[in-house]
Amino acid sequence: MRKVWVIAVREYLAAVRTKAFIISLLLMPVLMGGSIVMQIIFKKIEDRGERHFAVIDRTSGEELYAALTKAAEKRNQYEIFDPETNRQVKPAFKIERIEPSAPDPEALQQQRFELSQQVQAGKYFGFLEIGADVYRVNETSRPVDDRDESRLLMEAIYGDDHHSDPERVRYQSKMPQDSSFSLWAERVINEAVQEKRWAEARQPRQKVMAILRPVPLAAKGLSRRDPETGRIIDAATESQIVRFLAPMALIIVMFMMIMVGATPLLGSVLEEKMGRIAEVMLGSVRPFQLMMGKLAGMTGTSLTVSALYLGGLYYLANRYGLTDFFSFGILAWFLVYLVLAMIFYGSIFAAVGSACTTSAEAQSFVTPVILIAVIPMMVLVHVIQQPNDAFSTTISFFPPSTPMMMIARLAVPPGLPWWEPVLGALLLLATTAAIVYAGGRIFRVGLLMQGQGAKLKEMARWVFQG
Amino acid sequence: MSAVEIREVTKTFGAFTAVDNLSLEVPQGTVYGFIGPNGSGKTTTLRMIMRILHPDRGIIQVLGNDSHNAANDRVGYLPEERGLYKQMKVRDVLRFYAELKGCRDSKSSIATWLERMELTAWANKKVQALSKGMAQKVQFIATVVARPELVLLDEPFSGLDPVNTEVFREAVLGLKRDGATVIFSTHDMAVAEKMCDFIFMIYKGRKVLDGTLESIQETYGSDTLRVRMEGNGFSWQGMQGVAKVTDFGRWQEVRLERGTDSQSVLSALMNRGSVRHFELSRPSLHDIFVRIAGPEAEENHHA
Repeated sequence: MRKVWVIAVREYLAAVRTKAFIISLLLMPVLMGGSIVMQIIFKKIEDRGERHFAVIDRTSGEELYAALTKAAEKRNQYEIFDPETNRQVKPAFKIERIEPSAPDPEALQQQRFELSQQVQAGKYFGFLEIGADVYRVNETSRPVDDRDESRLLMEAIYGDDHHSDPERVRYQSKMPQDSSFSLWAERVINEAVQEKRWAEARQPRQKVMAILRPVPLAAKGLSRRDPETGRIIDAATESQIVRFLAPMALIIVMFMMIMVGATPLLGSVLEEKMGRIAEVMLGSVRPFQLMMGKLAGMTGTSLTVSALYLGGLYYLANRYGLTDFFSFGILAWFLVYLVLAMIFYGSIFAAVGSACTTSAEAQSFVTPVILIAVIPMMVLVHVIQQPNDAFSTTISFFPPSTPMMMIARLAVPPGLPWWEPVLGALLLLATTAAIVYAGGRIFRVGLLMQGQGAKLKEMARWVFQG
Repeated sequence: MSAVEIREVTKTFGAFTAVDNLSLEVPQGTVYGFIGPNGSGKTTTLRMIMRILHPDRGIIQVLGNDSHNAANDRVGYLPEERGLYKQMKVRDVLRFYAELKGCRDSKSSIATWLERMELTAWANKKVQALSKGMAQKVQFIATVVARPELVLLDEPFSGLDPVNTEVFREAVLGLKRDGATVIFSTHDMAVAEKMCDFIFMIYKGRKVLDGTLESIQETYGSDTLRVRMEGNGFSWQGMQGVAKVTDFGRWQEVRLERGTDSQSVLSALMNRGSVRHFELSRPSLHDIFVRIAGPEAEENHHA
């Protein structure tokens, strides 16, 4: 046992001193801290100065241009400052009128091109075009009884050509994905357009809006009883994102641990074999001790990294008040399954490393193993949405996917009956024992084999005949 | 008690018999040389003594133990194919191997050996910074750092320059002085002749020689002439009673046929030219090796 420990310590120290390990350790806090810092920096950069926008209003009277100018003035006066610090936090919008071109397509294209050039040159941030028929109301032409009520309602509000004619108002800029102006302009224009439509229809806008106000639906978890006070606690409002967050985060961490931990193990076995270190080691330890030592060292490395990652996640969860989703029960199960997963995949990788002679050869052997490890990632969304249907239950008892799938199902409220994770762990333990046995036998023979790498058939023979 | 006792051991790999019904006893405190051509079973035998391979038949006792691993911590092993963790520092590597042998207090032993091998200045350097000769020294220290009672060295002298060969030879003899038993395999017959108390030769998995150098030479008798003639281009063609001539250029080593009188050969030589050196001796280990495993023996074997 002491020899296993000596090897494990060496493996651990060798792993944690590599650059890759330090990078992966730093990456997490850097990503976490970095995203916050970047947000602050971008805010600072973005929020300075004015943005000029060209507006072509093709409606008669150009009332929408007037509405935009007025709204922009109001916005620049009140809405771009932080109410507490009184500092400017958003850019000011300056609206500039452009004489509409002739309505024929050629002139239209010409004007758009000229304005594009001006945007390119930096004169404008972007330009907005308002079509002449923006006030037109599309009456539905098909018979009423053909559609359902809600669709009818949507069409009454938006018109049934809402998607087919998106360019009655169009906005062009170098950065179409930056929606700060387009969303604002859309809102201002729509308010003005609707106002005019109501007026023409002789209906007060407020009244119609009140009629059309949607009824919200609250999605909640289950009500439960507080075991101490005996009072019934109402379920907290759950957003779908939060529901996904915990299982996603846990599974991604576990998947990373398997990849980050087991892949170097493959390399280190290969190094020992091809660097002729293996036989020196076998002068002092049995092959099985060597393999177990390496597995223990690797598991230690992974536990170190995951402690940091989970700590980070827990910190974030705590900060956003989501600690309910990272209970200690789940974390404990996570550790149990992580250790089993590391040994399970680690023994496969160690066996492969010992049977191969080049890393390219080893890669071709582990690719199917990695594909199996990826399965849980692919079915993750389904399992989180339907944690207890036949598919999710079955796949969580398939040993290679058990660690990730069982954790995913545990992390979705209200969790699982106690026997499911226990049974899953026992099944995985039995499979892991078999894999370690087979891996150990391949390791023993493969390690001293030089020259050509082994075929799958040979490896099978080593397992069953020794 | 014997340090190693091998009784009727056979080891096969598939259809190939690597070691065939081998028996051998290595007395404690001796230096035992294993010789034999490549692929004749030396490394397999050493690996079986180390319990890295297990015999199909027969018993191997190491330091009085015949169970697996029981004596391993008291045995040091330097395999023919050897490497070190390149990223580790010299001192750490040595401490690691000492700990693997269960030796927790290796500090003084490491210091002594680094000193003896003139590597003290390199103790805190990474292994990858060492030259090949230095790395070989570190590997040797790793083998003996836990003060083993039995040391197995597979081709310890291969690839060494003459200076390092001297250092290694001195180190091996030092181990013997300290009471350890040393078994090493080698292709260098001169080294085996000079250093080994006993020589064991294995050929095609079978033991063909075993004993002291003298006792081995005894069985072949004094049938070898070492001759040096004046001038070049001397021909042995048609000389009576000569079985084989090995020409080293300036010297010739001549094996006489059984029953040939060496004096008659000398007079024949004197008739042909000027004799500068004429010596009747026992065959060298090199010659014995070639007689057993050379192409000539191959032909007899097939005939």
